[in-house]
Amino acid sequence: MPYDDLRSFLGTLEKEGQLLRISDEVLPEPDLAAAANATGRIGENAPALFFDNVKGFTDAQIAMNVHGSWANHALALGLPKNTPVKEQVEEFARRWDAFPVAPERREDAPWRENTQEGEDVDLFSVLPLFRLNDGDGGFYLDKAAVVSRDPEDPENFGKQNVGIYRIEALGANRLAIQPVPVHDVAIHLNKAEEVGEDLPIAITLGNDPVMAIVAGMPMAYDQSEFEMAGALRGAPAPIATAPLTGFDVPWGSEVVIEGVIESRKRQIEGPFGEFTGHYSGGRRMPVVRIDRISYRTNPVFESLYLGMPWTECDYLVGPNTCVPLLKQLREAFPEVQAVNAMYTHGLMVIISTKKRYGGFAKAVGMRAMTTPHGLGYVAQVIVVDEDVDPFNLPQVMWAMSAKVNPKEDVVIIPNLSVLELAPASEPAGITSKMIIDATTPVAPDVRGNFSTPAKDLPETAEWAKRLQDMIAARH
Amino acid sequence: MNSKLVDGAECPRCPADTITHLATSPVPGVWDVLQCTHCLYTWRTSEPDRRTRRDAYPEAFKLTDADIENAIEVPAVPPLRV
Ligand SMILES: [Zn+2]
Repeated sequence: MPYDDLRSFLGTLEKEGQLLRISDEVLPEPDLAAAANATGRIGENAPALFFDNVKGFTDAQIAMNVHGSWANHALALGLPKNTPVKEQVEEFARRWDAFPVAPERREDAPWRENTQEGEDVDLFSVLPLFRLNDGDGGFYLDKAAVVSRDPEDPENFGKQNVGIYRIEALGANRLAIQPVPVHDVAIHLNKAEEVGEDLPIAITLGNDPVMAIVAGMPMAYDQSEFEMAGALRGAPAPIATAPLTGFDVPWGSEVVIEGVIESRKRQIEGPFGEFTGHYSGGRRMPVVRIDRISYRTNPVFESLYLGMPWTECDYLVGPNTCVPLLKQLREAFPEVQAVNAMYTHGLMVIISTKKRYGGFAKAVGMRAMTTPHGLGYVAQVIVVDEDVDPFNLPQVMWAMSAKVNPKEDVVIIPNLSVLELAPASEPAGITSKMIIDATTPVAPDVRGNFSTPAKDLPETAEWAKRLQDMIAARH
Repeated sequence: MNSKLVDGAECPRCPADTITHLATSPVPGVWDVLQCTHCLYTWRTSEPDRRTRRDAYPEAFKLTDADIENAIEVPAVPPLRV
């Protein structure tokens, strides 16, 4: 059953033993971030965290690490919490085929309960803002779904974008936002700034768990995130009309912030400890004026910790980055079996594929680099055989160690595009890219001595299932 | 809107002494949120010294006027279409 808001999902996490309530008094800094940071260091099925006793605040409720484990990611998609990652990605890809599923508009959004407008806007009075990493320039909204429209085609539902961008609180009614040039909101902003106009936006916080997944997903410019949410939920996504901008926003949000990105203005922003495991900034970035805040009474402030991987960010954008690459690769090469693009948002990708003929695996690797997401990421590709699970890193390391002849199988291409945040790029935005072909050569590529591989026994798959069932029955 | 300058306060990150008050704790007297008007660094007074005191602030994160003036625009402001 799909979740229409964050609170109902938190209820399921609690029922499934995947939510930890921290009722002891904690400091806003450094405790909130440190606790969430720790979830990434205690194993891959860590719980979400819920804080309601934060020093100096009265009614603050803060949820962190909501997507920060494979168990939580599975539950967000309505799957059993022990679903293996490869199966979660394959099920995600299967549901994608139902796209587009039209959303369902509802009028009674709970965030209509309270409003601040104009001079009365005070973000600090609505949200318990706090800092994540030591060197961050300030307090961030880092898990908000930001809605904007194409100023040249404002009625086009597909071109309306919903995306997660880093947003720094600069004042009671002022924010800074980072639209990386390849992102859809940057395209909208560019069109507005070319004619000297402000770009209206709606920033929605504390959303249902599938909304967060699609907002962080690399989709095509004219594909609607709401229609993708419907496909992934298996039911129309509930949406409502934001009162000031008239934009479509999630019905179930805790907080809806509306305003404009001020045209042709930049202010110092950051630095921020990023998903790359490095700080980026300070840079001069666009600024937002908040004109209206709508919010549920005692809203839950959802935030995520990010810094040195793995963190919640990696669980949130890992599977949803694998799927577009898997789909786009299969369009050209149906031989592709699975794609693991979970490392640093796909800066490194592992692909398993069957081969048509010698040299084929390298072509698959090059295609990955020319997909829309690959242009800004995919700096390293490891290609493995069809019987290697790219999510099983010991198997991948076996393929690398046994199948790679470096002189022939490592290909380096200079001066390709990558996002500017990539720490190794030089200059920022430019990098060389590498393919490691860890597949077994096939004719007419006749290198090496691969004629007698040892395979799993025919009965092994059946026994694996039998053992898993026995282990599950024990709990 | 709180935009009063805070007397005697100093930015941990840049040398500026023009510090404004952004927010105060809902429980009175526990902490304040301050901001440097020059580099926009924002901090809560209850944070550890390494984030709130100039003498304890890590060198790697300090900002100079040159850093601020030379910071690149992301994304670049496009030419006006006429
Ligand atoms: Zn400063």
